[in-house]
Amino acid sequence: MDRRTVLKGLAGASGLALTGGFAAPAIAQGASAKTLRFVPQANLANFDPIWGTQYVVRNAAAMVWDTLYGIDDQFVPQRQMVESEEVSSDGLTWTFKLRPGLKFHDGSPVLAKDVVASLTRWSARDPMGLMLKAIQNELTAVDDKTFKWVLKQPYPKMLFALGKGNAPCAFIMPERIAQTDPFKQMSEYIGSGPFKFAKSEWVPGAKAVFEKFTDYVPRQEKPVWLAGGKQVLIDRVEWVIMPDPATAAAALQNGEVDWWENPITDLVPVLKGNKNIGVDIGDPLGNVGAFRINHLHAPFNNVKARRAILMAMSQEDYMRALVGDDNSLWKPLPGVFTPGTPLYTEEGGDILKGKRDIAAAKKLLEEAGYKGEPITCVVAQDQPITKAFGDVTADLLKKLGMTVDFVATDWGTVGARRALKTPPAQGGWHMFHTWHAGADCINPAAYNALRANGDKAWFGWPDSPAVETEVTNWFNAKSLDEEKVVAGRINKAAIDDVVFAPTGFFLGYTAWRKTVSGVAKGPIPLFWGVSKTA
Amino acid sequence: MLAYALRRVLSTLPVMAIVALFVFSLLYIAPGDPAVVIAGDQASPADVERIRANLGLDQPFLVQFGSWVWRLLHFDLGTSIFTNLPVAAMIAQRIEPTLSLMMVTLFLTIFIAVPLGVIAAWKAGTWIDRTIMAFAVFGFSVPVFVVGYILAYVFALQLDWLPVQGYTPLAQGFWPWLQNLILPAVALGCVYIALIARITRAAMLEVLQQDYIRTARAKGLGQGGILFIHALKNAAVPIVTVVGIGIALLIGGAVVTESVFAIPGLGRLTIDAILRRDYPVIQGIVLLFSFVYVLVNLLIDITYTLVDPRIRY
Repeated sequence: MDRRTVLKGLAGASGLALTGGFAAPAIAQGASAKTLRFVPQANLANFDPIWGTQYVVRNAAAMVWDTLYGIDDQFVPQRQMVESEEVSSDGLTWTFKLRPGLKFHDGSPVLAKDVVASLTRWSARDPMGLMLKAIQNELTAVDDKTFKWVLKQPYPKMLFALGKGNAPCAFIMPERIAQTDPFKQMSEYIGSGPFKFAKSEWVPGAKAVFEKFTDYVPRQEKPVWLAGGKQVLIDRVEWVIMPDPATAAAALQNGEVDWWENPITDLVPVLKGNKNIGVDIGDPLGNVGAFRINHLHAPFNNVKARRAILMAMSQEDYMRALVGDDNSLWKPLPGVFTPGTPLYTEEGGDILKGKRDIAAAKKLLEEAGYKGEPITCVVAQDQPITKAFGDVTADLLKKLGMTVDFVATDWGTVGARRALKTPPAQGGWHMFHTWHAGADCINPAAYNALRANGDKAWFGWPDSPAVETEVTNWFNAKSLDEEKVVAGRINKAAIDDVVFAPTGFFLGYTAWRKTVSGVAKGPIPLFWGVSKTA
Repeated sequence: MLAYALRRVLSTLPVMAIVALFVFSLLYIAPGDPAVVIAGDQASPADVERIRANLGLDQPFLVQFGSWVWRLLHFDLGTSIFTNLPVAAMIAQRIEPTLSLMMVTLFLTIFIAVPLGVIAAWKAGTWIDRTIMAFAVFGFSVPVFVVGYILAYVFALQLDWLPVQGYTPLAQGFWPWLQNLILPAVALGCVYIALIARITRAAMLEVLQQDYIRTARAKGLGQGGILFIHALKNAAVPIVTVVGIGIALLIGGAVVTESVFAIPGLGRLTIDAILRRDYPVIQGIVLLFSFVYVLVNLLIDITYTLVDPRIRY
């Protein structure tokens, strides 16, 4: 019996007990109706959304800092801090005007110079920002409310870049803070968003507190994801960090917390069985599972060996290892873009469909010159997702007759080791597993893992001129129809050259007590529009 | 005695220095890189390098070690790589919950385990002895997290007597403070109770066979007086030793207990720091723990003189 089994059994039993009506006077009271207690996906260990790009930092930052534009559920950037924008006929000069009433949490007004400093810091770290910086002539404040971005060549994705929810987002902060070196952590957390960060109450690893910013003036439009009016209906949000899922489940059932961002699949049936708890898919964009292969070393420096993996792998095996029997939580993914989004395509994805052909895959491996050398598969055991994927891959490699050097380690070690380009026998690697938020995979803008520019590419260093050409074409595309055509070609090239092996598309649940209302589906937890009764 | 205590305190300095060097060296050679964790999945290798340089992680071992020791000599434990907060402040934030948990656990343990051990020795070979020892085996065998989940299930979820998780500072009231600590202390104390009960029983059995106990019985002394005044005092040295050793068990156990009960203490801080490779925090905590351990051993040695007048330093 392992820890997980015990945890699952007890949580199950506790769920039955609670739904069976073991109610008693609660000694462990929930917070007041004006305080929402939220269990986030991870610890908020730092709070500089430009310096640290972890999802949890981005999610917290979206409460405190506002953006010029916000992406809605159609992936269209809508005005947020901006009142109007104008682009010159040659597409080179963008002029933006800020909307009135914008204030930072320290009471100072948001000025164009703050925006300029913020965009300068952001563009030193963000992939789209770097592209803009590379073609920038000047970025200047025209007056207190107007700023101008002059480019050397048109950049049709400008508004998407400024409004995207992918980390790092183009958050606006006061000039004095934004002047911090983008590679150093800032120490003041002043934004103009709907919540203020209570720094004095921050205990990294335990608690982070956000208070309603009463001077925030929301837009009048209906809130949709990161766009529209961010109406705050609670006074205070407390993030309670709980590393143990069983504890989080028990705390939610007991009313000690109000909302748990991402319950683990094992515990969801218990939560669903509790009449006081609502459970639903949290982020409709889900996640794309990825099996990264190192393109630098034999046998996988030969495309035939990489295709052998695609030909043999069963995405269903990967997904079932992760989500069990809940079919609503996964989909096969014969492509690289997020299912259900405009650019999703299966063009060129046939190799991932249908019956798996181990014999043909073995033949391809032989043609690639594989002769039984050990294949170093680095697997983080402390992440349930990578552990599940790693176990399936080990089995797959054995079926293919490969010798597996299974390196079971932690995510911190994988993170360091995957950066090594040395041969696997000298500390390098052949393969590791990860996953990408579906929001990052809706298009190539923030999709580093899709890039195939050799040495400059993401870990595995794929080199595919076809992919790179089409990515450039996507950035230059002027309409969605044009983008869709290009996306089809990107998908085909990425699968043909096996930039990485997609293991499937999977979703996760979120759970909240029914005293909480207004929990909306979205790419991040959205706290505006959420209210709570006592 | 004072000179001895002073000598012992001073002797902790070389121990601490060796611990410091050992910990620093281990972290230096350990795989993992905080810059990679900070940079996130989307960062380029150049970004990672720049972050490493900013953190000084690209410096040679001796430079990094020298700079850390220099700060240490100025009573500066450094700044967390991730939170940008001083390590001393982070430890200060977390020390109260851990100290509270350990104190309540120790209190529970001593007041349960010692009487159990005495009774088991007194009733050696009977069903009472066997029952107590069976509980001791259970305490040894069942992991802290299992006991923790069972307690949370029964006393928090079913009976709703106590909270599942969290910590309330003592400043907010004794009962709110205690109610958050009862379940974790019992969970953490199980193995410790088992250990001390067994040691107490063994020590008492030996003492109860001594001539002076027979003499005490012969002169008509009551059972309670024999057990708790004459026998227990003479059996105290090994018990006190095990209590000291047990502090190390408590420190280790606190890591798991604090995770299970979401207590924001040093144990969780340690785990978080290790997983993220937050070197200054790990170094600060290990130094603190080693200092506490050395100090506890000193206190134990001094306690020997109180329970056994023959021992003199």
